[in-house]
Amino acid sequence: MQEYLTTLLGGAEGLALEVGYLLGMLAFGAIVVFGFILPVAGITSWLERRVWARMQSRIGPNRVGPFGFLQWLADGLKNLLKEDVIPTAVDPRLFRIAPYVVVVGFVAAFVAVPFGANLIIADLNIGILYVTAATSLVVVGILIAGWSSNNKWSMLGGIRSATQIVSYEIPAGLGIFPVVLLSGTLSMQGIIEAQGWQPWNWHMFHSPFALAAFLLFFVSALAEGNRTPFDLPEAESELVAGFATEYSGMRMLLFFLAEWGNLYLIGALMATLYMGGWQVPPFTENAVLLGVAQFLSIFLKSCFWVFVAMWIRATLPRVRVDQLMTLCWKYLVPIGLVCVLGTAVTMVVAPEGILGLRFAMFGLVVLVIANFFRRVVFHLRRAKGMGWTIAG
Amino acid sequence: MRVYFHNIWISLATAFEGMSITFSHLFRKPYTVQYPDRIAVRVQDTLPYRYRGILEVDLEICTGCLACERACPIDCIRIDAKKDMQTKEMLLNRFDIDMAKCMYCGLCSEPCPTGSIHHTREFEGSDYSLESLVKRFVKVPVPAYKPKKSGEDDPAILPILERGMRYIDEFADPDDGSGA
Amino acid sequence: MSVEIEVEGQGLATEEMTLNMGPQHPSTHGVLRFIVKADGEVMRTAIPDIGYLHRSIEKIAEKVGWHGFMPYTDRVDYVAAMTANQGWGMASEKLAGIEVPKRGEYCRTIAGELGRICSHLLAIGATGMDIGAITPFTHALREREMINDLIEELCGARLTYNYMRIGGVAWDLPPGYQEKVLEYLDHLEPTIHEINDLLSYNKIYVERLANVAVVSPAMAKNFNLVGPNLRASGVKYDLRKDQPYSVYDEFEFDVPIGEGEMGQVGDCWDRYMMRIKEVFESIKILRQALRQIPDGPVIAKVPRNLKPPAGDVHVRVEGARGDMSWYVASDGTEFPYRVHIRTGSWTAMSIIQELSRGLMIADLVAVIATFDIVAPEVDR
Repeated sequence: MQEYLTTLLGGAEGLALEVGYLLGMLAFGAIVVFGFILPVAGITSWLERRVWARMQSRIGPNRVGPFGFLQWLADGLKNLLKEDVIPTAVDPRLFRIAPYVVVVGFVAAFVAVPFGANLIIADLNIGILYVTAATSLVVVGILIAGWSSNNKWSMLGGIRSATQIVSYEIPAGLGIFPVVLLSGTLSMQGIIEAQGWQPWNWHMFHSPFALAAFLLFFVSALAEGNRTPFDLPEAESELVAGFATEYSGMRMLLFFLAEWGNLYLIGALMATLYMGGWQVPPFTENAVLLGVAQFLSIFLKSCFWVFVAMWIRATLPRVRVDQLMTLCWKYLVPIGLVCVLGTAVTMVVAPEGILGLRFAMFGLVVLVIANFFRRVVFHLRRAKGMGWTIAG
Repeated sequence: MRVYFHNIWISLATAFEGMSITFSHLFRKPYTVQYPDRIAVRVQDTLPYRYRGILEVDLEICTGCLACERACPIDCIRIDAKKDMQTKEMLLNRFDIDMAKCMYCGLCSEPCPTGSIHHTREFEGSDYSLESLVKRFVKVPVPAYKPKKSGEDDPAILPILERGMRYIDEFADPDDGSGA
Repeated sequence: MSVEIEVEGQGLATEEMTLNMGPQHPSTHGVLRFIVKADGEVMRTAIPDIGYLHRSIEKIAEKVGWHGFMPYTDRVDYVAAMTANQGWGMASEKLAGIEVPKRGEYCRTIAGELGRICSHLLAIGATGMDIGAITPFTHALREREMINDLIEELCGARLTYNYMRIGGVAWDLPPGYQEKVLEYLDHLEPTIHEINDLLSYNKIYVERLANVAVVSPAMAKNFNLVGPNLRASGVKYDLRKDQPYSVYDEFEFDVPIGEGEMGQVGDCWDRYMMRIKEVFESIKILRQALRQIPDGPVIAKVPRNLKPPAGDVHVRVEGARGDMSWYVASDGTEFPYRVHIRTGSWTAMSIIQELSRGLMIADLVAVIATFDIVAPEVDR
């Protein structure tokens, strides 16, 4: 990015270069936010409803646009035009600020998220640390929302959110450590460059410990993103709508925008840390073509995890608060520590990595996926016996 | 310790199993009926013969016996039947059914001797006011139907009576004729 | 009710929080209200406040006459209306000394068991929904819709059936009905297994329900729990078996009881599983009834202007939510003198305050769901 801009600005020097660089960054940031994050968050909401619906033998939104694709725009417009109700008993200033804090938290995290070898707003040398820190800002917003609503259900939701996100920072961090150890850098681009495009060269398959850390990170990321099975802050059957109970119109939408945007963020992090990010086979010299391929590579990997998160939400029930904590402190944190130590030991024993182990891990995952499809076919067979029509 | 690892294993295994079920649903046909517009046949036509929809009265075969009015547990049927002093005929002056009150229990159509009052398969009855939900069947006073001993022969009434008698017959073939 | 508040040290003062759960709350299954006294997430107590869905059904009976009350019984428990129909029919028949034809009793059994499956499916799905799994709910409701289609064909309505009459049932089975229901049952069984795989044995689900709100057999008897809730506590008592009414003594079926597979006997998971086991028993009964159904009339000759002799009766029916008792007194006129209905949800409601001590708010939701409380049945 930096080189691009330097060449773009040509001979400009000194302060002018700095200002130009800043402006360029801002422009790219604006493009990323309005041209990518918001549509992605919106489309995620549509996709989520469609995926759920099909898993629940329904159809889902299909009236606005082809396959209901424009539903998210319609919903956004509707919520923009709705009255912004601010109940009399709330703390009006905090109540108004809360959604913005949440949105700022998740948008800021995108600064360090890579979209390609050269497509990143700022390749910070502490990239991953920055993302974890920025996403933690979300909890502040949710807590403000819960507190300022002056509603006990909202407050419970806010407090649940705080306990949950703060606790799960630790296993999430422990899930990141093995990657940092393996690549020797905190920079997002550095992490990706340390991996290869072949699946067995991904960090995920480095050793059993890395594979475990990978699952661990996914679970903690779900918890940090308030996704099922950890959607306690907005558990609608318990807390009405949790911290968002008193919100309406666009302000409520902002919370959900952040949630859906976060989903993509989780996917992007999974792809970056463990699945080789934007790495593609070097099939061409053309920089533009390569850039597109790299973008598609990381985008599709992220979308896969977005889909998995939706799929989990359609499948699993919600855990209870104390079980949430048990899971965090008794299961995830010890496993995370073992993963970090194990990775370190593996690195000491074999600094170059063990190729056999990599293939073994890769084979294991392939086996699990194969077994999964075997089960799916079994269920489809049973369904056919039940008189279901099987369609694509 | 064994419990600890068993817990991890069982959590992963059951989640795996559940996810394979939900995934398999992506390949099954949805069960949604896209009422009201995206359907092949009107829902009304797919309903069974015994469906209890909005009430309808065929005044041509109404005998004015008031059995339905008496059977109705919420008094949503109002009938004024008077004997005309000159012609010695029963005259129906009023036959109102308040569909806003009606609970579609079907108790009124059971005692009807001719099947005059009957449930249709129509269920779309939303309207803008409660007033317009009161169905007034009698516009001008009409004479009540008198069953003839020799059997009905009036071609204007015969098909209606046939329909009514078919409605009373619980084993009537749903596909026979236009339905109730 | 006041609870001692401990203030630790000099610094932070903690305060008990009073939460108002309901009447408009997503998981109160209608309009229930609980006044929850909570210390953070842990409840000190949850006091049920009932009466939001009171519609004076018992009093209405005194004004609408014997035949006319039948549609109102649908509204007592609108999730499983058939058994309420049957209760009123049986009470009136006992008073008036009417003998129901054999085929009529079979029709009642078939309809009643279909209604029971319907109600249990809703309970299964709603429990999953309250615990946070949204998919089993729609799957269960999809099956319920299919049963509703069958019932619609039988009696013309999907929710407020009004199928039974004093002296029998209103309509005979439509032609080809037996085969249709049998075919459907073959579809239902694997579907329930699928819901089991998807939800019942899921580790998170088991963790949420097992060992939560354990009701011991003695406690269950003390609080007069009935039906599935009682059997889940390990008490083998089913009116269909122990005081057979209608034609239930002609069928082979088991009375499943809670076995504490996942935790202790009588916990939430047992109560949930009870419903699934009962669906299988109902399927057994339905299969036998549909194959054995004799020919003949479905309704006895009952005068339209029914005037049972003066006296009172007490009739019990095993409804979907347990023992539904009907006390009906007649003074020999065309209107009942007094009707009283005692329902399963009512007794289940009374135990919640006792159970709620020390549970978490999320558990209260599970308790309400697994007791399968239907608000209109509590208040009537």
